[in-house]
Amino acid sequence: MSTLAFLLNQSVNALSQAALLFFLGVGLTLIFGIMRIINFAHGALYMLGAFVGYSLVRWTGSFWVALAFAPVVVGLVGWAFELSILRRLYRRDAHAFLMVTFGLALVVTEAVRLIWGPDALQVPAPKLLSGVIFLLGEPFPVYRLFLAVSGIVVAFAIWQLLERTRLGLLIRATSQNAEMVHALGVDVGLVRSCVFGIGCGLAALGGVLAAPLVTASHSMAATVIIDAFVIVIIGGMGSFLGSLIGALLIAFVQVFGNYYLPDFALAFMYLVMLLVLVVRPGGLLGKEA
Amino acid sequence: MRWSTVVGLAVLALLIAAPLGLPAFAMTLLTELVILGLFAMSLDLMVGYTRLISFGHVAAYGLGAYASGFMLLNSSMPLPFVVILAALMTGIVAIGVGWVCTLATGVSFSMLTLAFAQLLYAIAFKWTSVTGGSDGLAGIPRRAGPMGITLLTTKTGFYYFALACLVGSFLLCRKLVASPFGAVLRGIRENEAKTLALGYNTRLYKIAVVAIAYAFGGLAGALYAPFAGFANTELLFWLLSGQVLIMVIVGGSGTLIGPILGAAFFLLLEHQLSSYTEAWALFFGLVFIGFILFAPEGIWGLATGWFKRGDAAAKAKGSLHG
Amino acid sequence: MTSKPRFTRRAVLAGSGAAVASPYIWTSAQAQAGSAIKIGIPAALTGPLGTVGQQTKRGAEFYAKVQNAKGGILGRKIELLIEDTAGNPANCVRKAQEMVERHGVKMFTGLTLSSEALAVVPKLAEWDAIFVSGINGDGRLTADSFVPNFFRANISGPMGARAVSLYLREAKVSGVYALGLDYAWGHNSVQVFEDEMKRANKNFIGKIFAPTGTKDYSTYITKIRQSGADACYLVLQGDDNNAFLSQSRQYGLPDKVTLLTEIVDLASIKAVGDASLGLVGSSRYSFSYDHPKNKEFVELWRKEHGGGLPDTFEGETWQAMQAIQAGIEAAKGTDTAPLRKALESVEIESIKGKIKFRECDHQAVQQGFMVKVVKKDGFDTPVPEVIATFPGERTTPGCKKTSYDN
Repeated sequence: MSTLAFLLNQSVNALSQAALLFFLGVGLTLIFGIMRIINFAHGALYMLGAFVGYSLVRWTGSFWVALAFAPVVVGLVGWAFELSILRRLYRRDAHAFLMVTFGLALVVTEAVRLIWGPDALQVPAPKLLSGVIFLLGEPFPVYRLFLAVSGIVVAFAIWQLLERTRLGLLIRATSQNAEMVHALGVDVGLVRSCVFGIGCGLAALGGVLAAPLVTASHSMAATVIIDAFVIVIIGGMGSFLGSLIGALLIAFVQVFGNYYLPDFALAFMYLVMLLVLVVRPGGLLGKEA
Repeated sequence: MRWSTVVGLAVLALLIAAPLGLPAFAMTLLTELVILGLFAMSLDLMVGYTRLISFGHVAAYGLGAYASGFMLLNSSMPLPFVVILAALMTGIVAIGVGWVCTLATGVSFSMLTLAFAQLLYAIAFKWTSVTGGSDGLAGIPRRAGPMGITLLTTKTGFYYFALACLVGSFLLCRKLVASPFGAVLRGIRENEAKTLALGYNTRLYKIAVVAIAYAFGGLAGALYAPFAGFANTELLFWLLSGQVLIMVIVGGSGTLIGPILGAAFFLLLEHQLSSYTEAWALFFGLVFIGFILFAPEGIWGLATGWFKRGDAAAKAKGSLHG
Repeated sequence: MTSKPRFTRRAVLAGSGAAVASPYIWTSAQAQAGSAIKIGIPAALTGPLGTVGQQTKRGAEFYAKVQNAKGGILGRKIELLIEDTAGNPANCVRKAQEMVERHGVKMFTGLTLSSEALAVVPKLAEWDAIFVSGINGDGRLTADSFVPNFFRANISGPMGARAVSLYLREAKVSGVYALGLDYAWGHNSVQVFEDEMKRANKNFIGKIFAPTGTKDYSTYITKIRQSGADACYLVLQGDDNNAFLSQSRQYGLPDKVTLLTEIVDLASIKAVGDASLGLVGSSRYSFSYDHPKNKEFVELWRKEHGGGLPDTFEGETWQAMQAIQAGIEAAKGTDTAPLRKALESVEIESIKGKIKFRECDHQAVQQGFMVKVVKKDGFDTPVPEVIATFPGERTTPGCKKTSYDN
């Protein structure tokens, strides 16, 4: 394998991993920007996405249906949670959100186990994407290429949503100054519900897309939640572009770190975070936290 | 005397008398509650009094547990020395941790504490010759001494030792938060910029409180290792950091006593629920959501609310008769 | 006790209406006269290894049901105390202690994780309790960490690695590589495998370890490909195993490299589907073993479970329960000292054939099996098929060791 082929393969692969991390991180950071909430249930919702995806594939036989509707289902769960519980807590301190989302994480995790059972479940990649292509003579799974592309598409879509739509304008305005937006006669509560729902839906999208790689499994939640926090904090809490950069940074560091220094696989991410925060305490693109 | 003091002393008396009346497993559980209570209380110094929310307090627990486990397995020092030494070592390491973490504030501070805890987790995993790697340290003894005293090797003796550590730490912490030092901490909690403007080097105070909180957390871990007989990477896993934070909040932060109750509540509820149903995590989660909605001040808030009403009622009665 | 609605977890399987354990922790151990035989099972019923814990539970409950219908052991019913540890050693120690101190349990089986077993084992002497493992594979339990009250009925990690090595001795491979999970079990098994390959003059090219919870195996797959090996030994389990198998299939790795694994189980085959086809590995238990006792067991199992097949740890737990029963019958009771002596000498005709605990380290000597995952008529998922067996004398390591001398 030539060095160039190796670098190309692993770089595209890092992009595919960055896409999965980005789906988690961007939801988390949008929610934080609007609500100042750290959503501890984000990993559990990601897992829920994978399991809902599994059921949709079983019923309809189509991965694409699952990809389209699992995020909607999970987004609605998030939306309902915001409406019924989070909404009552906006005047309270960070402790309240911490505990209530911790509670939600427990409830969702256990509900998944009760509904789908304790075993890992297979979500195969669609036929169309299950082959390999050759990048400079080296085989590379089409599915990972698809992940990288979908990451780019979704990032672009969210950017357009934030920049070009009324909802995007309201989201940006609310994260700057919620009271003023309220004074202008906008239903801030509705903006918050939407953002929370969208954030949860994005996590679920990540879950469905990850399922062909890691199966729909019960360790999914625990293995991603910390990664997602790290990405968001590296990029700067509340920053869309920051979450994108954070995801890319962590994905590349993990892929190449694992290759060259496998003994330090457990520590890379934290060393990067330490370095970034010591130099820029608010994250790369964040204001002073 | 106020109601709360009376109740406090009564509870202490009950705890001291407990081994006389309680069966074996209740004592096992009570000892673990005392240790976990100490752990939660140590975090309250940071969370409740200084608003330094740590996502990595497990580092203190794990460091203390590994240090005491290693010393008990590889030296002939008596148990109380080992435990105190492990706590001091944890506190000293924490000065470095605090120095780095306090470069940031808010969520960044929290994530830096998490980073340190995770790095320790990785070290515990990899440094097999000292930590036993993924297997951890097992068969940690409760050694006799000093001077051949065998009291601590017994179950009851160890319980009293752990209880003494908790009560002693509680009294020290209470003194600390009532001192001028504590006043500065509260100043940082309410408005750090203002405290800084008043001429206090707030960063030094924050480093100090991190070191002290870690030392007490390390004390709890140092007690856990000889209590359970093992120390492994699970004691450094991030989930426990989240759980101890929940214990503090559910008990009532900024009260010292609340987090102890929170720890007891957390452990008893988990233990009992998981014996009734496999789906215990579901109910466990619902309880926390319920607490936030209906008891925002935590367990201690509920209890003191009740006492205050009692005091007020007594006063009203007094004034009526007076 | 009040008649509040209760979830039936502390399952009392005795049909005799024995008293249900009180839910209140403030009660003390009940005296155990000639009543039920209590077996404590603190297992990881929830969490990432919930699959394994649930298998243990099903295996043990079914054994108790069948045996109690036959009148129990020595005329005493089997009573199982099953508790969830969520895979956390702290919970495991606490629950086990509760079983001893409140319920007078003197016998354990079914602990899920090796870290849990290693935390509990040093306490057995103080508790005066016997622990017969049906799951724990960590070589240390019958070596450095051996205690007299511990017995291992299951096939250990080193024994699995040895079976794969013996199989490879005969196979034509030009170079082998190894990938293990980065914890004690992975390192131990990979070490055994490496030594074996070198002894057999095979070209051992290299090894690599991945932390548990690894989501992306592409760098590991790349390393295996770059090594030029035509066989790779895997010491992975659970979700990590499933992730690796799914991803290596997507990379087309199995077309170039024969994958050999330490445990082949149905749960994993189901989770990865066709990505498991062609996988060769050692097996701790499979429904496909050709032994009359096993056929009988599988038939009984399928009747009870709507046609479902018993998986690895259901079979292993069944065998552990058989061992416990044989020991109690030989000792004519459950007192710890005589039971330990009896277990050291009984020979059991189990579902895997003859098994016997060695006196020196309490490892059960038993046949080693190699299986291959194939498609078969009558099954909707691929199934393991036995391709080689090795006598127990060859697969069991040196006494109180995790290594082999020849």
